[in-house]
Amino acid sequence: MKKSILRLGYFLIALFILQAGFLSYLQLYRGPAAAANPYNRRLNEFETRVKRGDIIDAGGVVLARTDYAAGYGRRQYQRAAETAPVIGYISSRFGRTGLESRYDRHLLGLEGADQFRNTLNHVFDRQQVGGEVILTLDSALQGKAMALLNGRRGAAVLLDVRTGAVRALASSPSFDPNRLDANWEQYVKDPASPLLNRAADGAYPPGSAFKLVTAAGALARLPGAAGKKFNCPGYLMVSGFKLTDLRAHGDLDLQKAVALSCNVTFASLGLEMGTEGFLGTIRSFGLDQAPPLELPARAGTFAGSSRLQDAELASSAIGQGEVLVSPLQMAMIAAGIANRGVLMSPYLVEELKDSHGQAVQKKSPAPWRTATTPEIAAVITRGMMDAVSYGTAAGAALPGVAVAGKTGSAENPGGVTHAWFAGFAPAENPRLAVAVVVENAGSGGAVAAPLAGKLLAAALAQGY
Amino acid sequence: MRGDAGGESRHRRQEQVLLLISGAYLMTGMIVLYLETGRSGWPMLVAGLMTATAFFMISAFWAKSGYRADPCLLPVVAALTATGLVFLYRLDPVYGTRQFVWLLIGLGAMALTTRFLVDFRFLSDYKYIYALAGLLALVLPIFFGREQGGAKSWLSFGLFSVQPSEFVKILVVLFLAAYLSENRAVLSAGTRLTGRISLPGAQEWGPLVCMWGVSLALLIFQRDLGTGLIYFSTFLAMVYTATSRLLYTAFGMAMFLAGSAASYFFFDHVRARLEIWLNPWPYIDTAGYQVIQSLFAFGSGGVLGTGLDQGYPKFIPAVHTDFIFAAIGEEMGLLGGTCVILLFMVLVYRGIRISLQARDEFAALAAAGFSALLGLQSFVIIGGVIGLLPLTGVTLPFMSYGGSSLVANFILLGLLLNISHEAAGFL
Repeated sequence: MKKSILRLGYFLIALFILQAGFLSYLQLYRGPAAAANPYNRRLNEFETRVKRGDIIDAGGVVLARTDYAAGYGRRQYQRAAETAPVIGYISSRFGRTGLESRYDRHLLGLEGADQFRNTLNHVFDRQQVGGEVILTLDSALQGKAMALLNGRRGAAVLLDVRTGAVRALASSPSFDPNRLDANWEQYVKDPASPLLNRAADGAYPPGSAFKLVTAAGALARLPGAAGKKFNCPGYLMVSGFKLTDLRAHGDLDLQKAVALSCNVTFASLGLEMGTEGFLGTIRSFGLDQAPPLELPARAGTFAGSSRLQDAELASSAIGQGEVLVSPLQMAMIAAGIANRGVLMSPYLVEELKDSHGQAVQKKSPAPWRTATTPEIAAVITRGMMDAVSYGTAAGAALPGVAVAGKTGSAENPGGVTHAWFAGFAPAENPRLAVAVVVENAGSGGAVAAPLAGKLLAAALAQGY
Repeated sequence: MRGDAGGESRHRRQEQVLLLISGAYLMTGMIVLYLETGRSGWPMLVAGLMTATAFFMISAFWAKSGYRADPCLLPVVAALTATGLVFLYRLDPVYGTRQFVWLLIGLGAMALTTRFLVDFRFLSDYKYIYALAGLLALVLPIFFGREQGGAKSWLSFGLFSVQPSEFVKILVVLFLAAYLSENRAVLSAGTRLTGRISLPGAQEWGPLVCMWGVSLALLIFQRDLGTGLIYFSTFLAMVYTATSRLLYTAFGMAMFLAGSAASYFFFDHVRARLEIWLNPWPYIDTAGYQVIQSLFAFGSGGVLGTGLDQGYPKFIPAVHTDFIFAAIGEEMGLLGGTCVILLFMVLVYRGIRISLQARDEFAALAAAGFSALLGLQSFVIIGGVIGLLPLTGVTLPFMSYGGSSLVANFILLGLLLNISHEAAGFL
């Protein structure tokens, strides 16, 4: 009988080990999602006893601060409407979004040393305080971008090409997180969707701005494409479908095709690359994935490989067809070319500080993926510089600084084209990449390029 | 028959050192709670001190009377009850105070058990009498009982109510130990051949099948799924221990599964429990609320927990009884929860050790049965709370709020200690 008693013992011990394993799975693996679940009332309860930490921009401006009085913390936002798509809001009625939600536990002092301190604070009846979030975002530039968009539907993104730091992530129209309760109905019903973060979550046909990607793919996959002469008669027949160009560009090379935004050249390059070549290029730029930002960001969408043939492939190569990307993705494409082919992971949060000002997390820039080679990036950059100096993007030119850029005027079901610009400056030694889209506003050269130029000028003037 | 005096006093000394640690643990918790509640929290300090002293006095009493039982069991139980008591005071001082009183009564019951039932062997002689008594006590609530938390398993006596099933479980183990040790040879070998497998006859089988019936009846009529499950799994564990035949266990399990499957189709409350276990989210506002609140509590706890009195375990209905483990998971985190599981593991380990050292088969089976009962009960309720098993309403031994459960478990502990005491004398 001793043997069976022992076996019973082993069995019971095994049950407990299984249980401890499952408990670890529950608390470590599934825990964070349960803690942040909107049905979990705990976070709202914590607001009643913790002075939530500040959110501070790159220049030290406090964008979100809690006034704590009489058992309830009231969140106040500065430059509220301008930064709302990034900062988000906390509301017991409407949930939690943006960086407020992403860094909820840090801001409420529920992590690391702050957790211990706040336990003591609670025991000794002292005010509990949360940690700070310090952004890469510059609220002055964010404000400038919003002012330039001037209430029109659209978005503007400004990135540091060397690090991936996001300096502006503007989405227009926006909403006022200080007046959520009063205006919620209106925000939800507004056809302009002010609650949508167009910059990271918007889905737009990129139009000709996407030719930067097609160019990189062609240069990598088609030997001799850099020196090859193309001829543009003003249209291209693709299996019975006539793809037209704005005008007949005649004889030109790839660099000039970028500058003049020649549809015929890029559509033919797309066809020559083939479905696999085109999709491979998209993957090397990471466009099929959500950018690794601290906020929800949209992955690009493209026609599946079975449909990506002939006419669809030709239109996709010039950023039409079923291609949809976000302004953040376009800014990352420009930043990748500017940074000699290496795409840096974009980030909004520079540093997390606990309630004693101790840095608990500091961002060190990291490459996300290599989109293309330095040589190819250089060829495309020359084309983009030409586009600003004599081509379609002349509106973005700045005095004293060489700007490289590419426009787009994307056809869409809404009627008038979306105006696009993606580029960077200074062209010889790039620091900043920009992407701008203004919905149904006309041509990229006329509307988006000057706007992007002004935003770049403001950023360079501030020393970024 | 007595072991050497040096050995037994060393045991009690070890026990007292361990009790000192668990007492310090208890007082730490009480002091934290006192600091948070302020002046009005003084009863917590008193309760903490008195509890720690009571445990210590029992050990001293044993040292004086030459009691030779295992030195680990009492400190482990002290740590478990300390955790339970601190959390009950934290959740609601009213529960805490009542639990404190029941704890003293439980300790008294255990002391009496180790004093007057130290010669427990006579218990095996009257097995059919208390089998009947137990059965009666179980059946009574079906007719006269009061429903509490969906289960109709309480008998009300004006001032307080008693859950007979908590006490009957001790009788079940004793009955089975007596019965199985008597019929072990026949049951193991079998008396007749059915095909190539030898099986015992109906006489030997009868009482065991009755057990199966009682478990299912509990499950169905009292809606006490948890107790039914625990009785039955303890029964299987003891039959296996006695006979070493997995065939019986497998057959029993198959019967139990068949019964469960049938009740799934015939009884809505069984079906609801199972569906909530598989996916609670569609029932978030109704029957799944409790389970999901518990998942939130564990999620918010993380590794270290929020800290005592820093979380919101009161969002979980019935957190002081069946869901007390969720409160621990939230405020003491994965580490605290794992430690509680570890304490139960040590309890079972010592129990199995006692069973292995026991003087005869009756004692060995009883010790194995008590260990299995404690182990399985804590496994079933913790498993239910963390979502590993369907939720069944049973108490977490030594921790959940409830006098019946606490007193019964202390009596059980006393019997286990008595077996250990006897074995130590025999060695």
